[in-house]
Amino acid sequence: MVTREDVINIARLSKLYIAEEELDEMTKAMGDIIKFADTINVASEQGVEEFDNINNLKNAFREDVVVPSYERDEILKNANDIDEGHFLVRKRV
Amino acid sequence: MAEGMIKRLGSMLENKEISCTELTNTYLSAIESANGDLNAYIKVTPEAALDTAKAVDEKLARGEQLAPLEGIPMTLKDNISTKGIETTCCSKILEGYKPIYDATVWAELKKSNAVLLGKTNMDEFAMGSSCETSCFGGASNPHDIGRVAGGSSGGVASAVGGNIAAYGLGSDTGGSIRQPASFCGIVGLKPTYGSVSRYGLIAYASSFDQIGPITTTVEDASIVYDAISGYDAMDSTSQGRRGEPTVKTLKNDIKGMKIGVADEYLDGVSDEVRSVFEKACEVYRSLGAEIVRFKLPSLRYALPVYYILACAEASSNLGRYDGIRYGYRTANYKDVNEMVCKTRSEGFGAEVKRRILLGTYVLSAGYYDAYYKKAQNLRGSIVKAFKDAFETCDVILAPTVPMTAFKKGNAISDPIETYLTDICTVPVNIAGLPGVSIPCGFDGEGMPIGMQLIGDTFCESTILNAAWQYENAAGAEVFKPSAYGVKL
Repeated sequence: MVTREDVINIARLSKLYIAEEELDEMTKAMGDIIKFADTINVASEQGVEEFDNINNLKNAFREDVVVPSYERDEILKNANDIDEGHFLVRKRV
Repeated sequence: MAEGMIKRLGSMLENKEISCTELTNTYLSAIESANGDLNAYIKVTPEAALDTAKAVDEKLARGEQLAPLEGIPMTLKDNISTKGIETTCCSKILEGYKPIYDATVWAELKKSNAVLLGKTNMDEFAMGSSCETSCFGGASNPHDIGRVAGGSSGGVASAVGGNIAAYGLGSDTGGSIRQPASFCGIVGLKPTYGSVSRYGLIAYASSFDQIGPITTTVEDASIVYDAISGYDAMDSTSQGRRGEPTVKTLKNDIKGMKIGVADEYLDGVSDEVRSVFEKACEVYRSLGAEIVRFKLPSLRYALPVYYILACAEASSNLGRYDGIRYGYRTANYKDVNEMVCKTRSEGFGAEVKRRILLGTYVLSAGYYDAYYKKAQNLRGSIVKAFKDAFETCDVILAPTVPMTAFKKGNAISDPIETYLTDICTVPVNIAGLPGVSIPCGFDGEGMPIGMQLIGDTFCESTILNAAWQYENAAGAEVFKPSAYGVKL
């Protein structure tokens, strides 16, 4: 059972605002999805082992050598606001 | 049997029946006339395409041999990073974002002068099965524009099915290559997890995501897979391709091949899909393969396991969108926290928000063990069930989708109903297996039906071989060109 308070709390953790008028609809949608997810809780845990990852993957490491990277100006190109080589968030009310 | 567009255009270029510039212009004009109906492309890149075409023509003039994909007009799903070309995942939150590097797959294709016509439509952040969660509106099915192209790689499938691209690359997290390929009557390959680099693919659910080709024929899919697979040091889960290029064994005999059919895959599929599927089994029998019926009971949990784990990974991956370094930023805010929250709330669409919330919920204290951990362990059981199945059969044959392409607007009304349509495709992603969807017939209204061949890990050669043999035997009956696009 998902409550309005659950949704408000989860939204806060997710850094999302849910408008008051959308809250009931979102609570219902979340409730339906969680009910659907709950079907896994009828699965027997007998013989089920702790799972790590698919295909026994090992991390593909590369040599730890310094290679040329991107220019600072290039990295900053996509930012909304920058100042002297930094990303900037100005106060705007 | 129809020749694939890559093979056909490649030989036209080699034989100088058409120049690459003429070919590219033909495709660009076709996009201009068809895209209003199909909404497959969200960005067309004519200048870069014609520059590449010119380089290919110069090479031809010098009498040089072309690589298999050289000069072939193609497209990329909009979650594959293209340096200097806007890459948005069809989300408002990535408005204006131009990557400063190329995804490895695109860097590889670029080296061999692939002609990029533009970027194609998709469900926002690949979250959807109809392409309708795109902030640009959904792509249409080239066989009936009142229906969806499928999702999430709906734009690529619509473009390839409508022949306004010879092929394209999509990504498949829960069926996003195979399902739209099935809906549009073409071929879609989801490779083994780790065999194609994910570097530069904007992440949705990292332990499921995989890039793969959408093409008109199995042979074309094999050519593209051979070109894009391989080890990449930039992807920490990279494994590379194992064995010889898949084209080498594509046309091998399949006498004695054991093809498994799990009963669970046929639960709930429409009568028309089932009857076309049974006919396909007959074709395989006539080719000397043996159909082995078996059970895969753990598939019952595949959908909830997928949605729990994929959303958990998405909630973490999408945490990076904060309006600070790239993309959309809200106009007014008091402090950084409000800026981030408003940016995300205004920038993400409803389905993405739902999945972030679900993912955060299943990872939060108090629910982690009941959902995330349990789903993760069940994932292990599903992996094992497939491993056991491959002890007794060489490939598994299953429908790709339980139904044909639905009418526009039907998918978004009920999220759960929409999730259920992914029932046949998600198990492959859960287990990291390769799967290829190929056309196998039509429903009463002329809409394409697809089926998928699933293999053990790194067995792309086996599934493509089995797929090619079916395609060759079934012939023109299962493939129908749409009314759109380039006619040569």
